[in-house]
Amino acid sequence: MSDVAVRVDHVSKSFRLYHERNQTIKSAIMRGRTSVHEDFWALKDVTFDVPRGSTFGLIGSNGSGKSTLLKCLANIYFPNKGSITHFGRLAAMLEVGSGFHTELSGRENIFLNGSILGMSKKEITSKFDEIVDFSGVEQFIDQPVKNYSSGMYVRLGFAIAINVDPEILVVDEVLAVGDAEFQEKCFQKFRDFRRDGKTVILVSHSMGAVEEMCDQAAWINQGELMAVGDADSTIQAYKDSLHRPTED
Amino acid sequence: MRYLREVFASRELLVNLVSREIKGKYKRTVFGQLWSLANPLALMLIYTFVFGLIFRSNPEPGDPSGLDVFALWLLCGLLPWIFFSTVLTLGTGVLVANAGLIQKVYFTRIVLPLSIVGSSAYNWVFEMAVLVIALSIAGAFVLPWIPLLLLVMVLLALFATGVSLMLSVANVYFRDTQYFLTIILQIWMYLTPIIYPSSLVEQASKDVGGLLGTPFTLIDIYRLNPMDHYVAVFRQVLYDNRWPDPLELLICTAWALVALVLGMIVFRRNERNLAEAL
Repeated sequence: MSDVAVRVDHVSKSFRLYHERNQTIKSAIMRGRTSVHEDFWALKDVTFDVPRGSTFGLIGSNGSGKSTLLKCLANIYFPNKGSITHFGRLAAMLEVGSGFHTELSGRENIFLNGSILGMSKKEITSKFDEIVDFSGVEQFIDQPVKNYSSGMYVRLGFAIAINVDPEILVVDEVLAVGDAEFQEKCFQKFRDFRRDGKTVILVSHSMGAVEEMCDQAAWINQGELMAVGDADSTIQAYKDSLHRPTED
Repeated sequence: MRYLREVFASRELLVNLVSREIKGKYKRTVFGQLWSLANPLALMLIYTFVFGLIFRSNPEPGDPSGLDVFALWLLCGLLPWIFFSTVLTLGTGVLVANAGLIQKVYFTRIVLPLSIVGSSAYNWVFEMAVLVIALSIAGAFVLPWIPLLLLVMVLLALFATGVSLMLSVANVYFRDTQYFLTIILQIWMYLTPIIYPSSLVEQASKDVGGLLGTPFTLIDIYRLNPMDHYVAVFRQVLYDNRWPDPLELLICTAWALVALVLGMIVFRRNERNLAEAL
């Protein structure tokens, strides 16, 4: 546990709040400027380490910056200040089934989506059965995914993503998918991950899920890191703050 | 160099995206891939009727092939043009069209515009193969020129790639780009000797003489258009069946390299901001 999987080092991230945004050439010329904006700091100087082999939860209220941090971890956003270093292959699952082509069959989409997530054809072929089995859509694998029920669609997406087999997995609020049986399968998969010494970083609004799965957690409030460390104490601190009406 | 290696490492993804484009495009159509011939054929009929029969834009017969068929002469320039304009049109919109993917998954972004080039090139090769067969039936001896033809096709594809890389980024910041481009492409097509021979422009240029008292003539400005040179080389290889003018070939190569390098630089500079800007 002493080893570090991800190092978040003094990360700050700002977005531009546009009061005026001229995205057409005409308006840019007419107004003589492309935008009027102010910076909004979604993350302010956040620093923590994610230990290798831990299941790490990010908690906080809506709009606290959790998802921004997650997107920074997934290389989708890049921090303005500070740096994020990963030690090992990282896969991010911020939305399941993004990149599916609805006219193509489930089989074709597994190969397409797998390669978007960074798997080689060989890896996908070797894991194909596992993915299909996990998703539970064997019967319909050669049907176009537009005919899938929404549950099947998400399950297939999730099955592909979870089989990327990264050393570090970043997950956003995707545990709410599928029925109870499928969720149980997912939890089992996460437990396997942990047993294999892999790191999982997840965002969830469900405190129950975080309590059950995570051993480490970080609490973010309005872009600032409030507490980090042992899951139970961090969650307790977060819960306490909610019950104190005077604060915030 | 490291960037090129990263792009190379994503080649499997590129192949998959290209096949997604190709397979998805004509799904659930009866004629499938044949549809990609429909548009060039329709244009060929229209232009042959209007410019071949009514306006009598008489291109010179192929030398040494001896071909004298307006429709075939037209297609030698029209098919490369259609490929070029398709890549630009689709390439400009590709980042916006895949916004969901860009905001949710990390991958080498450049594969998106490249996949447009790939899938358009697939259609283009198919069309060119049909053209080569038609030319052979009409009596041209095209087969020995195929390696050179492929080289010129690669050059045009690189040129189109470079331009569409720049346009795709521009379209993220200014959505006008895509609408602007439709107009530009129309003007551009008529400024390129596709439906008329460039000898007509030379003639007109001679008649007008130096522009505004300068030694520059109309044709000098006309030749600044890179597509003029590509079309000339395609015609020399396909229709005339002879070695292309080395200078023309050199100009084509230069344009391809300049566009590609500029496109890569622009794309790389902006790649990291795409998820936010979209």
